[in-house]
Amino acid sequence: MSQVVIGIESTAHTAGVGIITSEGEILSNQQAVYIPEEGGIHPREAANHHTESLPELFRKALKEAKLEPNDISLVSYARGPGLGPCLRTGATAARAFAYSHDIPLLGVNHCVAHLEIGILEGATDPVLLYLSGGNTQVIAYAAGRFRVFGETLDIGIGNGLDKFAREAGMGFPGGPKLEKVAKGPELLDLPYSVKGMDMAFSGLMTAAKSKLDAGHSLESVAFSIQETAFAMSCEVSERALAHTGKKELVLGGGVACNSRLREMAMTMAEERGIRCFVPERALCVDNGVMIAWLGHQMMGADYSISEEDNVVDQKYRTDMVEVTWR
Amino acid sequence: MMFRGAEAIVESVKWNGQDAISKIRNPRSYRHPTLEKRLVRERMRSEVRIIEKLISNGLAVPSLYSVDIDNSQIIMEFLEGMTLEQALRNKDFEKNLVDTAELLASIHSQGVIHGDPTTSNFIVNEKIHAIDFGLAGISEDDEARASDLRVLLESLDSHHSEISGRDIFLKAYSNWTNSSSVLEALKVLELRGRYNLMRG
Repeated sequence: MSQVVIGIESTAHTAGVGIITSEGEILSNQQAVYIPEEGGIHPREAANHHTESLPELFRKALKEAKLEPNDISLVSYARGPGLGPCLRTGATAARAFAYSHDIPLLGVNHCVAHLEIGILEGATDPVLLYLSGGNTQVIAYAAGRFRVFGETLDIGIGNGLDKFAREAGMGFPGGPKLEKVAKGPELLDLPYSVKGMDMAFSGLMTAAKSKLDAGHSLESVAFSIQETAFAMSCEVSERALAHTGKKELVLGGGVACNSRLREMAMTMAEERGIRCFVPERALCVDNGVMIAWLGHQMMGADYSISEEDNVVDQKYRTDMVEVTWR
Repeated sequence: MMFRGAEAIVESVKWNGQDAISKIRNPRSYRHPTLEKRLVRERMRSEVRIIEKLISNGLAVPSLYSVDIDNSQIIMEFLEGMTLEQALRNKDFEKNLVDTAELLASIHSQGVIHGDPTTSNFIVNEKIHAIDFGLAGISEDDEARASDLRVLLESLDSHHSEISGRDIFLKAYSNWTNSSSVLEALKVLELRGRYNLMRG
């Protein structure tokens, strides 16, 4: 019989409630995004936003799925990594819903959820290029764990884009705004920082700001940032693909919504003769569906829930997840 | 023989009648052409400069036959023998590891970081040779050196878990006069989250 899982996401800007069946049918994907009035994300204000949004998201999700709380067989939520106050808000909502309706509760890893959504798209054993505000990683499954093959050595790529956009007088979120104004073909010389399978972005963003201050147009600076930062990300993914011998690439995270990044990743995949899976935008950004889907996979593998699974963990690393479902 | 890496196509060729290795950095069309050209130039120059430096100091690395920046091709000596990875499965486990540690220490003492010293990037015949300086760099930084050690130790772990080569390798590396600060940096590096499930 088909089971239904509800997933709660609240690691950063996005509060999300998603409902999915054990066959992978998405019944609802509700999202509400906190947008700071000025500056970057303020953890407590984001948490307040989530506190206010989550009850309504639950109601909307259940209504869209045409379900009653008692039809749900598992409540899954993002245990981490993320901002403490935001994580606690999501966990509290998940607990309250689970306990009041007597449904099992399971905390899952946010980064792994981004990878597992690729399975819904048809991948079997992919390398994930995960580009978001706080997270910038290349992840794949190897020898019993999801391993981080490459990652940023300083700031997340999305944070870098946001920070540059803010300094250039554009609001949040910076990435999509930069994408809109980016215009080639002139490429400015910016630091291309790939070390083995790792990357660094802060020097690139600082150099971009000085180009802007030196009088280069915002259009060509934005274009050069995208060309450089995305090429670095694609190169690192390609190194992970060559190293692991895997034949599938999945994109995830908010920055993976960028059309130029998608185009570059697909070109790279085509040249290597591998498949590239690009989830629709609502599933690339943070969402409750992926949390529900990962929860379902873990439970399907008879995962036994321990007390530790239901405590949030701001530094819940990808390679800490015990993988029982593969 | 042909191998398609993340950065280059490596194949065996004939050069003036002798066996040789050709390494071509084939262009990535996802990269902007200006960026592509700049990267290939920088990386080829760096690789060639480092190999020349090591050769002139008598280290066991392949000789360079031809460097063609415009066609992104380097032709170098073909080394007979098996990779360290294969060699460690067969015989002289301890001797091969000691020789590798000594070679890596000599590379470091020249101010060079290999960048990717996995067990596949050493060739064993009468002695041990280091190959593939595509990710190499110039640095005397302890952390960069420690990162080389970590890459090597990790590749030992994943391929040869039945025997602990770690102690043998580190003991031999510690014979180098400047090794103590590198070994300290290695401890710090290994305590960082990504490399260790214990977090502080």
